[in-house]
Amino acid sequence: MSIWAALAGGLVGTLVLTTTLRAANALSLTRIDLPFLLGTAFTSDRTRAKALGYGAHFINGLIFALLYYAVFVAIGYSSWWLGCVFGLVHGLFATTALVNILLPLVHPRMGQPETSAPHVALLEPPGFLMLNYGPSTPAVTLTAHLAYGTIVGGFLAWPA
Amino acid sequence: MDGYTELRNYAVIGDGRCCALIARDGSVDWLAWPDLDSPTVFAAVLDHLRGGRFLLRPEAPYTASRRYLPGTNVLETTFTTAGGTVRVTDALTIPDSRSLAPARELVRRIEGLAGSVPMRWSVQPRFGYGARAPHLTRRAGVPVVTSGPEAVGICAWNAGEPQPTSDAVVSRFRADAGTRAVLALPYAHREPLVLPTRTECEARLDHTAATWREWTDGRTYTGPWREAVLRSVLALKLLVFAPSGAVAAAATCSLPEELGGERNWDYRFSWIRDSAFTLNAFVKLGCAPEATGYFWWLMHASQLTHPRLHVLYRLDGGARAPEKTLPLSGYRGSTPVRIGNAAADQLQLDTYGELVQTAWLYTAAGHRLDADIARRLAQTADFVSTSWQQPDTGIWEVRSAPEHFTQSKMMCWIALDRALDLAQRGLIPDQHAPRWRRERQAIAKFVDDRCFSLRLNTYVRSADSDDLDAGLLLGLLHGYRSPDDPRMRGTVAAIQQALQDGPYVSRYLGADGVHGSEGAFLACSFWFTEALARTGRADEAAHLMDQLVPLANDVGLYSEEIDPATGDFLGNLPQGLSHLALISAACAIGQATR
Repeated sequence: MSIWAALAGGLVGTLVLTTTLRAANALSLTRIDLPFLLGTAFTSDRTRAKALGYGAHFINGLIFALLYYAVFVAIGYSSWWLGCVFGLVHGLFATTALVNILLPLVHPRMGQPETSAPHVALLEPPGFLMLNYGPSTPAVTLTAHLAYGTIVGGFLAWPA
Repeated sequence: MDGYTELRNYAVIGDGRCCALIARDGSVDWLAWPDLDSPTVFAAVLDHLRGGRFLLRPEAPYTASRRYLPGTNVLETTFTTAGGTVRVTDALTIPDSRSLAPARELVRRIEGLAGSVPMRWSVQPRFGYGARAPHLTRRAGVPVVTSGPEAVGICAWNAGEPQPTSDAVVSRFRADAGTRAVLALPYAHREPLVLPTRTECEARLDHTAATWREWTDGRTYTGPWREAVLRSVLALKLLVFAPSGAVAAAATCSLPEELGGERNWDYRFSWIRDSAFTLNAFVKLGCAPEATGYFWWLMHASQLTHPRLHVLYRLDGGARAPEKTLPLSGYRGSTPVRIGNAAADQLQLDTYGELVQTAWLYTAAGHRLDADIARRLAQTADFVSTSWQQPDTGIWEVRSAPEHFTQSKMMCWIALDRALDLAQRGLIPDQHAPRWRRERQAIAKFVDDRCFSLRLNTYVRSADSDDLDAGLLLGLLHGYRSPDDPRMRGTVAAIQQALQDGPYVSRYLGADGVHGSEGAFLACSFWFTEALARTGRADEAAHLMDQLVPLANDVGLYSEEIDPATGDFLGNLPQGLSHLALISAACAIGQATR
């Protein structure tokens, strides 16, 4: 178990997570687009937002991998299946609190229930479990996070 | 009179998230909380016994006059009695930064102007369209009505001591000259209720009026019928659901198109059909944030169903809107009372034209399309290329068998024409441009061969029919043919002859799969007016506009339809399409006479 393994797992995990979400998006299963949601916090230029958002998303992926690493070190055990459990918790946190409640609070262009006239949001609020982005969104998001957690856990359990 | 008031007597207030209807007699008869499309807390307009309402009126006989505070959506009603005069100011308040505000809040300020007026009020909340029993309790001395995750406080200052009864909280007080009372309903949904102070409520009421005035001062329209246009854009702004940028078609559901009839629909959704008019109005009136927000919402919402478009989308961007009926008695017995809208799943080919036209207008206003949207617009054009030959339900969402509606074909032509223009300017991928060009030509041939009557010298409602449809005017307004085209001029003349009656223009004659009839469709009157202006008949258009503008109610609002015989409002209100069509017609006449 090492920081480098965590960072490598975070990189690969984020790649898989992002690809899963993007594929679900292309298959019209969901309208979730995390890089877009993140990037538009910095700019209203859609193209630039996506580029920035991908960067921010990968950095977040690495930070979360380090958090996983910290917990694994604290309990003195790591495995792919425990990473999968962490991924489930991570996914639930993302869909119920992180993206639904915390992101709108700091996102200057995202609507929230308190947004009122004369302002108007550029991005619709995600809603509970991000259901505003389509009924399959929670399932897709949780699946992607399960994959992320499993990969990070797997990298950290990899024999040195 | 039978527990209901005429629809013409309603004014609307809102805060960008929800709307309330207030009758001339001071009764709040419609309020959906927390959002515009949520179940109601007050719905007496749909069932005067079970719907719930918030009454506030003099106990003595009175006359009432009202207005919006200039440049705002804050309503002011003045009651005059033999003993004195009292003024009530109503607003759904906009949060300020000075205090902790409730999630939603209705504030009613009562000022004695002269003499002494005995007042009575009664708050009768009925959650979930009247389905859920409210539970009355007290918090910090304030009556609070709760039901499931919802809570409404009933705060009264100088307005008598609130008295709980079996189904309401009521009180009486005297509004003497120089005195001021306040009633406020703070609301909470899935969070603790915030109980405001009187000072905070009054400050928020003033802040709300100032915020609306500031917004209105930013509007750029200087053309004719300025007051009507500005009131229309204020009404439209009430239909903008601020948290997402969507624009609802109307603030209400199931207000009847025919008294006692079954044409009662839920309009608290955003229709793609209205998108081009909406964006055009926002651009022309200097509402850039609203235009961008709406376009972004439109492209987000349609993503899940892409390349197909639903006829309408929920305000949160969702595509499902299952239709249900409620056990309410309906406005003056007009049942069924419906929520949701089954039209969502219909095939309406004109929407594709509206979407691409909207994107085209968006780029014309100087905005850029990102790569994803550009690709999707090109795919939309591809979809039109393969689908335009299907019969559909048309712009009016008939519930009879699908037909080859002419207006749908015209809008398919518009979709391909605008896509070709966007491709030519390098704004969307152009790989399939030759195919779009070929199909555009095929549509024009179909429309000219099968949708034009040489005998009547007009385009007709659907292929091989002899019927007329005011929706055909949209072909002209969106640029299917030049205004100088003899076929278009012939169509305007034929519609004038067959569908116009004074200032009123009917949508169409003939069956549509629903029992009963309907009133005159106001948007069609304005479209016809605009068509006159565009075909070189600006004086006639201005004359007609002078007849149409006074058809609004006393506070400048329009419903969807009007009964030509009585002048009564019919259908949901305020109706965004009516106000959009007014704005568009006023702008067109202004341009034609410049």
